[in-house]
Formats: sequence, C-alpha cells, structure tokens
Amino acid sequence: MQTNNHFSSHRFLLLCRQSLIINKKLIAISLIGAAGTLFLALLFFESINNFQSWSNYASMIFFLFCYVSLGGIYTSQSFPAFRSKEKSLVYLLLPASAFEKYIFEFLTRIVILILFLPAFYWLVANFEGVIVHHYVPRLINYEFSFKDGFNQIITNWKLSGWNISAIIQFCLFVYLATFTGACHFTKSPRMKTLFTLSVIAGGYILLGYFLSWVFDLKHYAMFSKSIFFLRSKEDIYIFLSIVGIVVNLSLIAISWFRFKEKEV
Amino acid sequence: MIQIKDLQFAYPGQQALFYSLSMRLEAGSITGLLGKNGAGKTSLLKLIAGSLHPQSGSISVLDHTPGKREVSLLNDVFLVPEEFYFPATTIWEYRKVYTPFYPQFDQKMMDNILSEFELNSGDNLKHLSHGQKKKFLIAFALASRCRLLVLDEPTNGLDIPSKVLFRKILAGSLDENQLVIISTHQVKDVENLIDKILILDNGKMIFQQTLSDISQKVCFVTGNTPDVEGAIYSEAIPGGYRLMVPNGHSETEVDIELLFNAITNGKKI
Repeated sequence: MQTNNHFSSHRFLLLCRQSLIINKKLIAISLIGAAGTLFLALLFFESINNFQSWSNYASMIFFLFCYVSLGGIYTSQSFPAFRSKEKSLVYLLLPASAFEKYIFEFLTRIVILILFLPAFYWLVANFEGVIVHHYVPRLINYEFSFKDGFNQIITNWKLSGWNISAIIQFCLFVYLATFTGACHFTKSPRMKTLFTLSVIAGGYILLGYFLSWVFDLKHYAMFSKSIFFLRSKEDIYIFLSIVGIVVNLSLIAISWFRFKEKEV
Repeated sequence: MIQIKDLQFAYPGQQALFYSLSMRLEAGSITGLLGKNGAGKTSLLKLIAGSLHPQSGSISVLDHTPGKREVSLLNDVFLVPEEFYFPATTIWEYRKVYTPFYPQFDQKMMDNILSEFELNSGDNLKHLSHGQKKKFLIAFALASRCRLLVLDEPTNGLDIPSKVLFRKILAGSLDENQLVIISTHQVKDVENLIDKILILDNGKMIFQQTLSDISQKVCFVTGNTPDVEGAIYSEAIPGGYRLMVPNGHSETEVDIELLFNAITNGKKI
C-alpha cells in the first residue's frame, strides 16, 4: 500500500490522540492552575476597588494583558520535545510527516490559544463574578461580556480598522516569535527569543539613528509630506499592519524550515 | 538496503567526523558496528536513521533519503538509542498510543517478549529501572517488525540473564527481510549474534567483512609465545598469548575483541 508522505488525517488524529493521552495530567493541572490564578487575580483587582467599580472595560483590559502575556508564555512552550535530546529523537523519528507534526503544534499552540483563551477567560471571569456577587452583593456589573468590553475599548481608545489590525498583528507577532523561538532554541527558548528580538530591534534603531544622522532627517517634521509615505497617523497604522503581516508570515516560514531541518 | 557513498559529516564548529565514508549493507544480517570512543558510531546510526543530515555524499536506506524523514521510511526504521525518554505512562497506555504508527506491529510478539523480560502491562515506564526500560524499548523495536533495526549499545544496563535473553530473543525474532545494526563496546555480549563486522576509525570504514569470510582467512589461537610464525597479531593474556594467525585448515570462533585491536592497529587480513 502506498504511504502518503505529506499528510494523512488518520496519522494526524493519531498524533492528537497520542498527545492527549500522554499529556492528560499536564493539561488538567495547567487548566486548573490557570483558572485558579485568573480567579485570584480578578478577585485581587476587584478588592483594590473595594468590590465596587469593576467594570467590563477593566475586565477587558485585564483580558488583553493576559491574552498577550500568558499567550506568549504558552506559545513559548511549543515543541516541548525539543527541550531534551532524548525527547527530540523520539519525536523526530516518530512515523508522522513533518507537516503533520508542524500543523499539530501550530494548531495546539496558536490556533487553540486564539480561540480557547477568550472562552476560558469568559468562563472564569463570569464564574468569579457570580461567586463574588454572592458573598459581596454590592459588586455590580459582575457579568463579563466580550461584546460590551470590546465596544468600550473601541470607543475609549478611538480605534478604527487599521488600528485594530495593527494590534492583532502585534498579538500574532508575540505568539509567532515565541513559537519560532521554541522551535529554534533547545534550552531557555523564551529568554533566548527575547534576547534575539532585542538585538534585532536594537539593530534597527541604530540603523534608523545612523540614517537620520547621515541624511540629516531630524530637521523634518514627522508628518511632513516630504518624509517617505507616512503622512498621517492612519498611514503609520497601515504601515505597521502591513509590516506585521510580512513579519508574521516570515516567522511562520522560518519556524517551518527550522522544524524540517531540525537535527538531534 | 543501506548504501552510503562518500559521506562527509561534521558537527557545527567541529572537525569532520567522517570523510568519504562508504558502505553497503543488505537485509538478512545482524551487523556489529565497532569503533573506538568518539569514532562516530552513534552519529553514523543517527545519519542512517535520519535524525542527522550529511554535509555531502549520499545515504540511501530502503531507497529513501533518511534525512527527508518520509513516513514510508520512518514506518520501517526503529532506532533504539543509548539514552532514551519515556513519558510517565503505563506500558499498556504506551502501546495503545504508539503502536498504531507502525503498520506491521506484532502485538502477540510484544506480549511474548514482555513476558520473557518479566515486564507487565500495568508497569509505569517512569518507575522502571534503566535496564527494564531498555528491555521494553528492545521489545517494542522487535515487535514493530521494522525492516531496519538500529540498536545503539543495546546491552548497556542489562543484567547478565537479560543479556542472554536479549541474544536469544533477537536471534529468534528476525526474518530474512530485516537488517539489524548493533553498535557496541561490549563485543562479548554480541559475539555469537552478529554475522558481519564493520569497524569505524578516523572517519572511515576501515573494515567490512562477514564472520564466515573472517574465519576462512584467519583463526584465533592461544599460545605460550607471541613469536609464532606468520602471526598477524598477538596480545598478552593471563598465562600466555592470544594470537590471530592465517587460517591453515580449521576454522575457529572469531575473537572479535582481538580482531578489532588488530584492525585498529593497522593489521590487514
């Protein structure tokens, strides 16, 4: 029988099953731990305001913070097999294609995070709200709604299409950069990814400073018509969004090729 | 089954481990891969299994390039490394999860080998000793029915009865379509098992011969003096000398240790 060397849904399901069965305890402990930590954090913020003025807006800000920071931590733990030589060997030589393994990791680390974390937060925040309201009836607005929270953010921050797109690209950048770092580095991938990004960002800042010094750009106003193509704040958001898309697609390509060429 | 041509390989920032290494192995044999420490035995096994990529030259395993890690090859190759990892799960659960990846997996054979090795399905792999884990991995490798089994120091960590059992099980569970490569320092553990010897030294395969060819050319005897006429190589042992001499009329059992020392000291047969 001919073996499909690229993608087989049967093998992909076997990979999912294998990961679920082998990591079931870890998944359960992580979910309970994350729910408990979120619960306590929400309780703490409400207690600062004496359980009176916690709103959907505040809850939404906290969610966005968690979405980026906890999400980044979660994605930095991608490719857990690469943390040791012995695990890497088992993983790389397991009879499943590189594409299946990569897609599995991408789905369980990035796609599930994007879809699951909001639902998880919604559940914990509402559960916490109901519990606190039961014991402290003066806490009003304890029901968390993404729709209200999101609308308040849009209104208060005066966000438009391109701003939102730039923010989404930034979130994706955090996830994809840590995902790529976890694929590339064996030990301490989070710290090494941060260091690498700092070096790259530092390099670009130095280059920008050097160019502005060479071309004497400091005399020009930021939104002057003579400066490049950035004529308004909207242009900056469009520019950042497009750069974000390009960088994020590049990170996906880098992680894929790095994964395919991984050696142990 | 395996064909390697002009292989060159080096770890990043290190001297080349293999220069122009070539070899050819066919199915139906148990081949011993011997070499000094650092000769590159484990690296060569990893290159054959596909976990490392060569810098130049070609490796063909079952008509595949192992570095591509195609499923059709991974299905048919099992590497038992010297150091390995098992998740904290029972043998039963491990089998349930991993055996579907190997289409030829023989559950009955696995049951038999496990019972010979005195391992139970309910045992948690995390709580087994190193030797027991190794026995489980060897059992899994044999039951996978992969056409190529690559065993790196398989007897390290096994107790004496387990080594005897390992030889018995390995010899009894293979068919003529399979090839086993065993890399080991413990030549005594595999002396009556292997039928071909490869010796790796200074980045090259300096010796590739079957045991029957070797025993037709030379024989291994014990004497009181090293100055036996025509002796190719000799070594002092308690109470006399062990000698490798050209074969006269009778074939003797191949003393792999002496042969290895002779070959790595530049002797030719």
